[in-house]
Amino acid sequence: MSRIQGGLIDRSRKLSFTFNGKPYQGCAGDTLASALLANGVQLIGRSFKYHRPRGVFSAGSEEPNALVELSGGARQEPNTRATGIELYDGLQANSQNHIGSLSHDLLALNDLFSPFFAAGFYYKTFMWPRAFWEKLYEPAIRRAAGLGALSMLPDPDSYDRGYLHPDLLVIGGGAAGLMAALTAGRAGAQVVLADEDFMLGGRLLAEDTAIADLPGAAWAKEVTTELQSLPNVRLMTRTTVFGAYDHGIYGAVERVSDHIADPGASVRQTLWRITAKRTILATGATERHIPFENNDRPGIMLSGAMRAYANRWAVTPQAKAGDPIAIFTNNDDGHRTALALAAKGVALHGVIDTRAGAKSLGDYETFAGATITGSKGRKGLKSIRIAQAGRSEWIDCGALGVAGGWNPNVHLASHHRGRPVWDADKLTFVPDADSLPGLHIAGAAAGQGTTAEALADGARAAMAALSEIGLSAAPADIPRAGEEPTGIEAFWHVPGKGRAWVDFQNDVTVKDIKLAHQENMRPVEHLKRWTTLGMATDQGKTANVTALAVMAELTGKTIPETGTTIFRPPYTPVSLGVLGGGDSGANFRPHRLTPTHAWAESQGAVFVEVGQWMRAQWFPQPDEIHWRESVDREAKAVRDAVGVCDVTTLGKIDVQGPDAAEFLNRIYANMMGTVKPGKVRYGLMLREDGHAYDDGTCACLAEGHYVVTTTTANAGLVYQRMEFARQCLWPDLDVTLISTTDAWAQLAVAGPKSRELLSRIVDDFDMSNDAFPFMSCSELTVCGGLRARLFRISFSGELAYEIAVPARYGNALMERLIEVGQDLGVTPYGTEALGVLRIEKGHAAGNELNGQTTANMLGMQRMVSLKKDSIGAVMSRREGLIGDKRRLVGFVPVDATQPVVAGSHLITQGDPVDMEHDQGWITSACYSPHLGSAIGLGYLENGDQRFDEEVIAANPLEGVSVRLRVVSPHFIDPEGERLRD
Amino acid sequence: MTELKPITALGAVAPRVLETVRYSLRENDGVAFASLVLPADRPAPAVFGIDLPEPGKYAQGDAGKSAFWTARHQWMIEGASLAETDFAAALKAELPEGRVSEQTDGWITFDIFGTKPEAITALLERIVNLPAATLDPGCATRTSFEHMSAYFVRRSDTHLSVIGMRTLAGSLWHALETVIRRLDVDG
Repeated sequence: MSRIQGGLIDRSRKLSFTFNGKPYQGCAGDTLASALLANGVQLIGRSFKYHRPRGVFSAGSEEPNALVELSGGARQEPNTRATGIELYDGLQANSQNHIGSLSHDLLALNDLFSPFFAAGFYYKTFMWPRAFWEKLYEPAIRRAAGLGALSMLPDPDSYDRGYLHPDLLVIGGGAAGLMAALTAGRAGAQVVLADEDFMLGGRLLAEDTAIADLPGAAWAKEVTTELQSLPNVRLMTRTTVFGAYDHGIYGAVERVSDHIADPGASVRQTLWRITAKRTILATGATERHIPFENNDRPGIMLSGAMRAYANRWAVTPQAKAGDPIAIFTNNDDGHRTALALAAKGVALHGVIDTRAGAKSLGDYETFAGATITGSKGRKGLKSIRIAQAGRSEWIDCGALGVAGGWNPNVHLASHHRGRPVWDADKLTFVPDADSLPGLHIAGAAAGQGTTAEALADGARAAMAALSEIGLSAAPADIPRAGEEPTGIEAFWHVPGKGRAWVDFQNDVTVKDIKLAHQENMRPVEHLKRWTTLGMATDQGKTANVTALAVMAELTGKTIPETGTTIFRPPYTPVSLGVLGGGDSGANFRPHRLTPTHAWAESQGAVFVEVGQWMRAQWFPQPDEIHWRESVDREAKAVRDAVGVCDVTTLGKIDVQGPDAAEFLNRIYANMMGTVKPGKVRYGLMLREDGHAYDDGTCACLAEGHYVVTTTTANAGLVYQRMEFARQCLWPDLDVTLISTTDAWAQLAVAGPKSRELLSRIVDDFDMSNDAFPFMSCSELTVCGGLRARLFRISFSGELAYEIAVPARYGNALMERLIEVGQDLGVTPYGTEALGVLRIEKGHAAGNELNGQTTANMLGMQRMVSLKKDSIGAVMSRREGLIGDKRRLVGFVPVDATQPVVAGSHLITQGDPVDMEHDQGWITSACYSPHLGSAIGLGYLENGDQRFDEEVIAANPLEGVSVRLRVVSPHFIDPEGERLRD
Repeated sequence: MTELKPITALGAVAPRVLETVRYSLRENDGVAFASLVLPADRPAPAVFGIDLPEPGKYAQGDAGKSAFWTARHQWMIEGASLAETDFAAALKAELPEGRVSEQTDGWITFDIFGTKPEAITALLERIVNLPAATLDPGCATRTSFEHMSAYFVRRSDTHLSVIGMRTLAGSLWHALETVIRRLDVDG
């Protein structure tokens, strides 16, 4: 154990957890990393490429090394940073990326062959022999890649989403963020303060700097208490703002129950979309290190992290308590760690400072002008080699803190491609203040890194942000903070022959950067791709700037000339579960149910998804084994007797107003304004470019009152298009549109006995052909006074009607029709039979209206009226379209036992089967129980002049060609007598 | 009166009800709806005692009648417990110059009652991507929720109506129930 005095942990609340199956204990307030360190565990993982032993390197979300698989079973989560995992009772964690035990990883052999795994090796190897790629190389690479493993089990957790619209979003709850939230909160602004930690305070929790005569952590607690008391302030801990998006929108993930062993019914995480009027970025800074030979051993960590472990978690990182610690630095901040450790009585070797004139700030030894040139310790640091004044010396060392300066966390400010700016005095990139509209940057994130600077800057940023949105805040009373030294001199890496790691997670060394330079991969984006620098879960937070400095040194350019790579969301990894949010499985997306759905279910209907709709596809009878039996029976029932089908899904648009007729004339290609009350007309709509768009009917219920029907697929689109035309193209027309698709249950009643069936339910309505001929419509009542609409239209080619009643009665109407029509042989039919019937009749549907179809191809060229203008009419007459000679025709196989396959390409007999000789294609096909063979519809060059010709339907995907005879697309009743009967 | 028996939007004889610690979620199948469009060139008259509301607003009238704004010169008129009547015809009789479209079974109302106003606020944060003031009491708006378009009507500080497409009733109920149960657990 290496617990020391103090800290912000609750020593009275012991928490049990396991790592690699071994039980340990930590305290409430620990992270998994601090608890492991407190138990003397230094070796936590293996590096990606060389499988080098690795330990905790940082104390935050920038952690490159201490990645674990958290939890087990279906909740196993790979690549989780131990430094960000809040310890809870029952936590299970396992190390990852090794074969065999963590201590004896067989893949550590890779380290011996490291010369073969230099930067870009995978671009140069695995080239030969070619055949090895699929069978050997790729499986082996996939096996090695990815660090941790998924359980491959369904995610048992639930995820939520939410939306917030504060005046001010403050990202980061450190000194600057707290001060900003306090300033804005006291001013009455709606404030959201989000921080990824489970406690507010940021670096104040890790430092011993006093604020207003209080320890920094105590001041943070006081401010937190005040903020909690303000009803206009919302504090969101365990919440990472991971991305800045357009229009002031920020994405955030709140880890609601990740810190609970069994979340029960609680959601695991919530995805928040935060639309803020103004935002303050107070995300602090991340420390960088100084690469030296073998600088990746467990026990070597960032100096600021070491200070945080000591001050906040009361732990030091040696394997054995009492082993001395050293600090390697190029700046004063390293000395602050030495001071903090010395104050807690930790044994110190001293501070190795690269600066020639460095002096101790307290009672410890300083090696001025010195560097560390090597380390030893296979699974944990044992010793370091100090070089000073031309001499070098190995000394025993249990842990080493490395301080190379601090990099402001500019990421979110750069998510819109804003480039940070180099600050030569502070030796760091700071964000461009104008990088993102509405964003103010404060504190260490803006390069204002001392506590005093951060407090003042947070208050300033809040006042500036509020003034921009018309709110005023009283000048903040900024508390006094203790002095903090900030001196720094540039020192980017210790030159040497051995490997010095820059990016720990991806095993990128100074040598790799040199190789990239040698191979001319010098621009930063090339450097990144060639070496994998800055990739994976940590995105190079501790490595990138150092790498740029090394490349700058090699090219002779300055660091700002070398530049940075593009920053993109997410700031830290976000689970796909929370991004997906909501439901999976049956409720993954909404489903629309037809009014007769309950009845269809009770009849054992087989349903099919049609867009959002669930439609009955067919109604199997007990003795039917194959779906075709059901569909054939249903289709024959319509041809021979009467069938009923729910067609509510067709779009219905109510059109009213004195200019409704003119509006419809402009929408439809054919003349629609002349349809009289009580009549229905078939209509064709064209797209602006002249191609066919949608078809349907238009019923005139009364003067100036119409109901337009659309195809199911285009219901929403046609309505949207009509609204666009109404509002934007012709606002001068006095016309009103509203959808009534859901309001009315609509049933198709089709077949020679449909009139007889309907006559049994209508109230005093003359159903005779004379009184209610084909293409009539009427409002009436049915079943004892229920208001209804009746349309005499036919999709099947039979005598047919569609009857509409208020949707709540649709189910009962279906029951009633089936009940009263038993002696007529009434049969419910589904979409499959509906398709058979319309193909037999030669009616075009979605398959035929594929976006490249012209009215000519459909044989409807005469419908495009020359007496008026309408959307697409002029364009439909352009040369390219008018010259299209493909026509919709029918096809039957020459050998009636052969199938017709939709999608087959049509070739003239004797011609080669290739695209040069393509004559068209089959659009729809089915088995016709009426004809006793397969049939098809399709477009064929000059098809309307080729009846009885035999063509080849080529299906190269399946290697099949079938001879088809070209016939009329109207397989039944080509004269249309039945539907007019 | 027809001899046919209607079913609710959720496919049952009786409306569905869910009672939780903080919420009551009720399928309200009794609301009649009719869309009303009035001429643009004259002031909107009162109808059923309702002063037709401004954009984004909801207003109550006589005997359970109410209205919310849906578009320019257009309102949705509601009639509590009048779903079985020809509400559109009644509205047309009231305002012959109006263009009326029957909408009763185009929609289903899910009434949500919170034990406290904060419960409704918490719910709105989960289901509506709009600033809270957009749905203060007396406000109504149309927006999407779980990929479904719906009207949201804040009838009081503890009463929110979510009015969705009738054919989507099952999915809408599921989504609301899920959020409500989660809020009961996570607050």
